[in-house]
Amino acid sequence: MTDGPGIGAAKAGMTKVLVIDDEAPIRLLCRVNLEAEKMDVIEAADGPSGVEKARAERPDVILLDVMMPGLDGWNVAAQLLEDTSTRGIPIIFLTARAEFRDRARGLDIGGVDYVTKPFNPLELAPLVQQLLDRIERGELDELRAEKLSELRTLMESD
Amino acid sequence: MLRIGLDIAAIVIGVVLACVGLWALGRRRRAVGSVSEPQLESLSAIATAFGGSDDAATIARELLERVEPLVGVELSLLYLVDNERRRASGLLGRDHGRELEWFRAITVDLDTEPSGVSTAVFEAAPFAVYDVRTSKIVSPRLSEATGARSAAFVPLLANERVIGVLVVGTTSGLRSFSSEELALLRTVAGEAALALDRTRSTAALKDALERERFVARISARVRSELDVDELIRVAVQETGSALRIDRCFIRLGGTEDSIPIAAQWHTSALSPIASGKRLAVSNLAVRRRETVAIEDVEHAPELAGVGGTDALLHLGSRSVLAVPILVFDDLVGVFALHRLEPGRWTPEEVSVSEAIAREIGLAVHVAHLLRDNERRIAQQSAFFRIAAMLGQSLSLSETLDALAQAATDAFGGDAAAVLMPRGGGLELAASVRLPEQLSRALAPGLPPAAESLVRAAADRRVVASPRLAGDDRFDEQWQALMDDAGLRALLAVPAASPRADRDGLTLVFFSEEHLFTDEDLEVARHLGDAARGALERSELFEAERTARALSQQLARTGSVLATELDPAAVLDEVVQQAPALLGAEGCAVLTLEDDDLVVGAAFGEGTEDVVGVRVSTTALLSGDVFQSRAPVAVENAAADRHLAGADVLLEAGYSAYLGVPLFGPEGAPAGVLAVYARRPRTWRTEEIEALRALAGNTSAALANAELYSRVSLEKERSVAILANIADGIVAVDRDGDVVLWNAAAEQITGVPQEEAIGHTTMQVLQRDLESGAEAQAGQRLVSIPRGGEEVWLSLSEAVMRDPLGAVAGRIFAFRDISSDRMVEQVKSDFVAAVSHELRTPLTSIYGFAETLLRQDVPFGEEERRTFLGYIASESERLTGIVDQLLNVARLDAGDLQVELGRIDVGSVVSEVVETAEGANEHRFEIDLPEEPLAAEADPDKVRQVFNILVENALRYSPEGGKVTVGARRNADRVEVRVVDQGMGIPASEREWIFRKFYRAESAARDGAAGTGLGLFIAKELVNAMGGRIWVDSTEGEGSSFAFELPVARD
Repeated sequence: MTDGPGIGAAKAGMTKVLVIDDEAPIRLLCRVNLEAEKMDVIEAADGPSGVEKARAERPDVILLDVMMPGLDGWNVAAQLLEDTSTRGIPIIFLTARAEFRDRARGLDIGGVDYVTKPFNPLELAPLVQQLLDRIERGELDELRAEKLSELRTLMESD
Repeated sequence: MLRIGLDIAAIVIGVVLACVGLWALGRRRRAVGSVSEPQLESLSAIATAFGGSDDAATIARELLERVEPLVGVELSLLYLVDNERRRASGLLGRDHGRELEWFRAITVDLDTEPSGVSTAVFEAAPFAVYDVRTSKIVSPRLSEATGARSAAFVPLLANERVIGVLVVGTTSGLRSFSSEELALLRTVAGEAALALDRTRSTAALKDALERERFVARISARVRSELDVDELIRVAVQETGSALRIDRCFIRLGGTEDSIPIAAQWHTSALSPIASGKRLAVSNLAVRRRETVAIEDVEHAPELAGVGGTDALLHLGSRSVLAVPILVFDDLVGVFALHRLEPGRWTPEEVSVSEAIAREIGLAVHVAHLLRDNERRIAQQSAFFRIAAMLGQSLSLSETLDALAQAATDAFGGDAAAVLMPRGGGLELAASVRLPEQLSRALAPGLPPAAESLVRAAADRRVVASPRLAGDDRFDEQWQALMDDAGLRALLAVPAASPRADRDGLTLVFFSEEHLFTDEDLEVARHLGDAARGALERSELFEAERTARALSQQLARTGSVLATELDPAAVLDEVVQQAPALLGAEGCAVLTLEDDDLVVGAAFGEGTEDVVGVRVSTTALLSGDVFQSRAPVAVENAAADRHLAGADVLLEAGYSAYLGVPLFGPEGAPAGVLAVYARRPRTWRTEEIEALRALAGNTSAALANAELYSRVSLEKERSVAILANIADGIVAVDRDGDVVLWNAAAEQITGVPQEEAIGHTTMQVLQRDLESGAEAQAGQRLVSIPRGGEEVWLSLSEAVMRDPLGAVAGRIFAFRDISSDRMVEQVKSDFVAAVSHELRTPLTSIYGFAETLLRQDVPFGEEERRTFLGYIASESERLTGIVDQLLNVARLDAGDLQVELGRIDVGSVVSEVVETAEGANEHRFEIDLPEEPLAAEADPDKVRQVFNILVENALRYSPEGGKVTVGARRNADRVEVRVVDQGMGIPASEREWIFRKFYRAESAARDGAAGTGLGLFIAKELVNAMGGRIWVDSTEGEGSSFAFELPVARD
């Protein structure tokens, strides 16, 4: 059973997003565009601090960069999913690696979705929102299954 | 003493008959009537008296006593007449009742002396003489002796034979005798005659019996004695003691005068006869082959022609009786009896002597028979012994030993030696009980001193020397040698040696002088024949045994040679085996080199320096063998002057040679195998064949060895090739077992060769490499486990088939493509990394551009600037990456231009550090020497290299870490170093990191940005400038990258 949105939804009704990426420009890019859509953005520059922040702030969603020095994205995701307090937080991977393998891996681990770089920053907020709506509706698993079949189709057609 | 006596019974009977006759006569006469009564009474009294008498003397006494009163006479005489009526001898005479002693010795020769007695004998009728003195018929001698005046002569008739004469007479006066008185006297005389005759015949009978007994006694003694000498001694002894003789002897032999006396007896008064010569009587007996009885040798003219009488008279013998000893008509000797007094030999004596002679003859004959028998038996047993001994033995040495033994036993010798032909002479081959010095003397052969024996052997003659001393067939040396050894006689018998053209000799030695009989010579001949047979048999046996031993030895040698693969070792083996095979002492192998035969190996005394000696192919002996391709055998090289110096080994002291050719691969002559013996010897056919077989083996072994070395060489080459191929090569046989596993296979699979050989690939790799009956063409991927991982191989397979088309084996060639895969992996990682590197700046550029284009959000000036700043810097970043890629492309294309010049390393270092310092939070330290460092390099490229190294140092070391940059001179090089305190590089990756696209494991894992091309480019640039680049690193502590460049030339 997943927890519902975390206790710390401080700004009333505002979606809290945790962005974990080692590249400062990308963090800025995300912040600017998500704040433009009235979302609350928390940043973390590496894996460990990301995990800490996740526990502390209980964001609604985490945007997680895969390619990071030290603890890479996958490990961070694993830790988050292990921890009961952070398990329910959906993770969206940010990855320059576009391999099917990586995409599948992301989903396997427990991620919900992924975004490949470069991405259109304007589309970031809507994506997050849509995701959260569907999860609220209880379609988490459905969501994941969809993504998986999508992947499969892509793999087969290749 | 022989006694002539009376038999009582005969007398009684005679007397009784006489009485009856008298009584009958008396009754008739009474009828006629002229004899007076008292006369008749006397008659019967006389008859009675005769009955009580037991010998002639008694009868005579009785007769005379009765007769005297009967006719009234004073004188009465009784003569006995011998059987031939030639002599009458007085038995008893009485005068006036007194016995006349002298009368007993009276003899009357009836033939020559006229006497009344002789008249009475011849007339066989009584008559009277009135006046004796005046009578012409009466012997005056007797009349004077007796003193008779008137006499009556009455013959005693018995069986119409006159056996005596009774003479009665007067000595006082003359008287006449009436016819009645004469008749009476005749009657009485007749009675007496009968009685006497009876007595005599009885005596004769008794005599005969005595003789018979005597002869029987002698015969018994003689027949019990088998020793001839003893029996004749007994014969003469008994005869001498029994008969009334003075001497007797036996001469044994067949011819007259020279028969020696074999035994003799004589009375103690005499001395023995020294010589058997001129014993005339026995000679005569021998000549006549009949008994000769000489009464008086002085009156024996017949003795003149047989030696005369001198010798006999010298001995003192006057009467001689000689009896030839005959056995089945063969005269074996003569038996003679001598008396010192002349006299007749009685028939009894003659018959006894003849009987004795017969006994002697028979006994001697039997003794000789027995002795002959013994000798024959001994001879037979000698034959048997020879046959037994020679029939059993088989080997030559055994046969010769047996021959020596048989010879000794057959002849009863004390020692024996057998000499056999060898080389040119006779050599001691076997001996029995031969004295030491003789052994030594004979060992090298018969000395020339025994020339006669050598000739005897040559002529196949038997030589017998009963007495060596003084035998002029042998010279002094030999006799001295024999004497020294204590040998006195010898017998030499030829022993035929089958193989030689000369005979050997068997010598039998005797320590005493030895008489060789015909039997001995017979045995000797037999021995010679038997020896030949035995030696022939042993010859066959030896040949067979030699052949067998040779073939066994050959098989052994063959098996040794078959396994020997080193040509030098083959030759060494052969030169040792060949002499052992043939019982020789030396060997040499010569092989063809250019046009000479070179000694390749040699064995034996004196061959130390022979190896390497060259001999022409046309030389004698070995050259002959080589040219003729046939064996050459020499029994005694020393004997052939031709061969002096012909052969090196012969010079070294060998005498006999046997060489056979060695053949090469196509049957071409390739050399010579030669065997040498110290002493001259014959080479048997089987031995020559064996050596040829050995040569055949040797040729084969040499060919093998050569083949093997060639094959070994090929194999080594193949192994070397295989060892150096980078691909793994594995071959399996038709059973799937690995037979080949090269070094690369070991490396790739991690399985050492020793573990792989003999097992299947399934056992070794847990994977079956085979693909089934048909091999797939081309390459396929197979994965095998190695150290816990799966390693991918690119494998190709080839099937080998045998002539029948069945699979004989497979060969696999494979290479490890995990590294390829790794490279692939790395490449794909690179693509991913490059993609990431490219996309990351692009994300910023694209993202901020889009963000700036947003119309719904008012951005401040500050914000705009920030965004645009990022767009610019990220664009730069992107450019840098693109540049790197272009560099690599250029390097790949070989499009690198290097311009070398003199650069100041110190200033370059300072420049780079300055630039880097500004943009970072890392601390930099510079480590430069005082003096300037000048290197020969392209400045641009050097800067590039530096940048790469510094960038790496910064990227892979922690925030706030120290980076040290230094340079120093190192001989003719300048060394530059960049040291960081980063994560370090594990040892296994230090080579890899300089490769294209390679990023350290840790780096890839941690997602650090980078293309993996930097170090590759740095390396290529440094190498192009003639330097080299490397890293020293400790995992977890940091890395020290260094490169060196040549010092600038001044």
